Amino acid sequence: MLSAMSRRSPFIICGILAVATLAGCERRGGCTGSFCGTLINAAIGEPPTLLPPSTEVVVANDIGEQLFLKLADVGMSENTIGDEDFQPLLAQHWEWDGPLTLVFHIDPRARWQDGQRVSAADVEFTFDAYKDSVVASPFRAKLRRIASVTQRDSLTAVFRFRERYPEMFYDAVFHMRILPAHLLRSIPRDQWRTAPFGREPVGDGPYRFVRWQAAQAIELVADSTFFLGRPGIRRLIWRFTPTLPVAVTQVIAGEADVREQLVTPENVERARAAPHLNVITYRGNVYTYLGFNLRANGDTSQPHPIFADRDVRRALSMGVDRALLVKSALGELGKVPPGPMSELLWIWDPNIRQLPYDTAQAGRILNARGWRDHDGDGLRDKNGQPLTFRILVPTTSVLRVQYAQLLQAQFRKIGVQVEIDAVEGAVVTQRTSSGNFDTVILSRGNDPSPGSGITQTWMRGGFGRSNVGRYYSPEFERLVDRAIAEPSRDRARALWRSAIETINADAPGIFLYALANVAAVHTRFDNTQIRPDSWAALLRTWRIPPDKLIDRDRVER
Amino acid sequence: MMAWLVRRLVASLAIIFAVVTFVFILIHVAPGEPCAQIDVDVDPIVCDQLTRQFGFDKPLHVQYWRYLVALAHGNFGYSFSLHRPVRDALAGTIPFTLQLAGAALLLDLLLGLALGIYQAGRVNRLPDVILGNTTLFVYSLPTFWLALILLLVFAEQLRWFPVGGPNDPILCPVVDSLYCVADRLWHLVLPATTLGLVGAAGTARFQRAAMLDVANQDYVRTARAKGAPERRVVLRHQLRNALLSFITRFGLAFPFLLTGAVLIETIYAWPGMGRLAFNAILTRDYTLVTATALIASTVVVFGNLLADILMGVADPRLRVRAGADVEVVTA
Repeated sequence: MLSAMSRRSPFIICGILAVATLAGCERRGGCTGSFCGTLINAAIGEPPTLLPPSTEVVVANDIGEQLFLKLADVGMSENTIGDEDFQPLLAQHWEWDGPLTLVFHIDPRARWQDGQRVSAADVEFTFDAYKDSVVASPFRAKLRRIASVTQRDSLTAVFRFRERYPEMFYDAVFHMRILPAHLLRSIPRDQWRTAPFGREPVGDGPYRFVRWQAAQAIELVADSTFFLGRPGIRRLIWRFTPTLPVAVTQVIAGEADVREQLVTPENVERARAAPHLNVITYRGNVYTYLGFNLRANGDTSQPHPIFADRDVRRALSMGVDRALLVKSALGELGKVPPGPMSELLWIWDPNIRQLPYDTAQAGRILNARGWRDHDGDGLRDKNGQPLTFRILVPTTSVLRVQYAQLLQAQFRKIGVQVEIDAVEGAVVTQRTSSGNFDTVILSRGNDPSPGSGITQTWMRGGFGRSNVGRYYSPEFERLVDRAIAEPSRDRARALWRSAIETINADAPGIFLYALANVAAVHTRFDNTQIRPDSWAALLRTWRIPPDKLIDRDRVER
Repeated sequence: MMAWLVRRLVASLAIIFAVVTFVFILIHVAPGEPCAQIDVDVDPIVCDQLTRQFGFDKPLHVQYWRYLVALAHGNFGYSFSLHRPVRDALAGTIPFTLQLAGAALLLDLLLGLALGIYQAGRVNRLPDVILGNTTLFVYSLPTFWLALILLLVFAEQLRWFPVGGPNDPILCPVVDSLYCVADRLWHLVLPATTLGLVGAAGTARFQRAAMLDVANQDYVRTARAKGAPERRVVLRHQLRNALLSFITRFGLAFPFLLTGAVLIETIYAWPGMGRLAFNAILTRDYTLVTATALIASTVVVFGNLLADILMGVADPRLRVRAGADVEVVTA
């Protein structure tokens, strides 16, 4: 038996090799013209569902852009004040009916992909669903200032607000994707998270859902009858990859067409070296900071022995050369943020006053606060207690771990000893939410509104949630409230500047870096517009000229 | 023999139960909770609602009892992170892990066996020395490192094989033709080779030692003295008696394959159970973690049981001993 097997084995091996060779060859397909083309996105992670109110996972949002329309969307300016910079989508036009009432007129051409007309009843249903605590939408809190949404007629939806403020229009359109009431009404809302609709959605966007293969890919196909114009690329595929290096390698090897964020300088270099890739830089929506816990480690009722002192925080901030850190760790990919903001926000201004890098001044402040090197060991101490603390950082972020080490070295120069606690992401979340830390390196993503991220992370309303260090400044909050309420963009900008300068002076954290987004896109794509808050928002306008189609673009299936 | 088998089955079930209980408690007492993984800014009302909906607000023993009752009814529960029944998530991933582990096991055992036999026939000669050092080198390589190197060389540089995933997403989103079977095999080459090579290196060393153990036995010398061809001596007399070590190795391969699969599936974007378990741990998806532990422990325990049974089949002395034990126990 064995000898027979061994006699056959060369044939078996040859057979496998022949089959593998066959698989290695691409089959030529037949599609030609302007509307062919396939885009494969190397996505990290997989969305849990495609039902918009049930998730705010980035990939789900990217795919949601193609399937479910908003009433209108922000423009390339990312201006969130007023309504003049917004682009109509489902709403053909809108008007204000008094200071607190906004009326949307649905485009009569809009259809659900099962043929039903999109109506104002869908808008009313959508608002009700997003606000329903049973649905447990992460966007629920962002709609708190909208009192009601009703239908005036089948194509007219009326929004009524609780108060007047500059971002009324933004709140009305940005957070909600309109849902098909006729398909979802019969599903009990406590079952929405697991409803089959979330894995096989029917939308009204430029693309139709084709298939979802768990942990592998989601495929969409262009809706050639889309009422705002036929999408330029025929097929979109999100291919799920668990790690960034593999995702980047897929794009470099030509197995995927787009990786929207390369994240590290090494990846950017690899992409730049690939002749078939365009590297596109756009404004990032994330900033990273070292947050001080102003309350005692593990006891939020007591002040922190080191960081409750504003002067000590200021001194520690002055002891860090942020520009040097950005240059050495990120090169051109990062910038020193002028405050707690990403470059996406329209209030970004490098001229905002910040604490300078001045180790001599830092030393003088620490001396004045009693933190001196009394025993000559190179470390400052006070009442026998050394000036030492720990930095909490998630192991999943190589960049943040690297930053923790760089900060450790910088603090050592001003006589401060730092230990690093590199732990799993879930542990970081658990420890920060319970106040069980000294300092933590966190990254925060912004949506286009300065009023949403900054208020959550740096105001009293965020205690126990994203304001992990429990920073509270009545002056800062007063300025932010005024800035949010200011209808003039120029005056709002000035108020935001004052608010940011106030928080910079208080130094509740050291704002380390704001990462620019760098995308790698295959060179055969034209018109590759990227809106900074959502790279996939304008995907329907991307094109592949017929003479640049490759084999996989032409494949018919 | 039957009583021994029943006893082993009961012991196996007890082990699986203990593993599931241990994992259930461990993941629940680990820092971090499912709701916090949604988003740091998640509305507390939303979090409370989800916590109640999934029963995470109940005491641990109540959750455990509910889990066991559901399990007894064949219900693995719902995955908090995937928004779908755990059963569906497992059903989608287990076939991929079986394909990967099966291919790796095949490579591990066949290549390891062949190398072990070849080396034993040339003991202390140049081929044996070279192969001995090579297998030692490969065996000592970290699997993830080997995976990254193979990926870099054969996928990114040479482009002989795909970077990751189980299929071509355009031509073969589902395996519905011979071409797509070939495509799946093509995608399987790098992950299975990574996992199988390290195992094969270990198997080769085991097998070489086992072959040498029996090389000087009387029956081998007798066969040679009778003038039997060398090929027949090696394959029929020497290898057959050295197979016990091979079967032991077969039993030991299961835990290695399953733990290795976690890394390999992550690096090669292979949509198997290892990757599912890894993500479930990161997101504190209690039901999914426990279910994957249940499946993994079942495979390992029954894999070892199968190895024990095969040992009995291969070696009649063990069957007799097992039977004698039964008589002693039942006396």
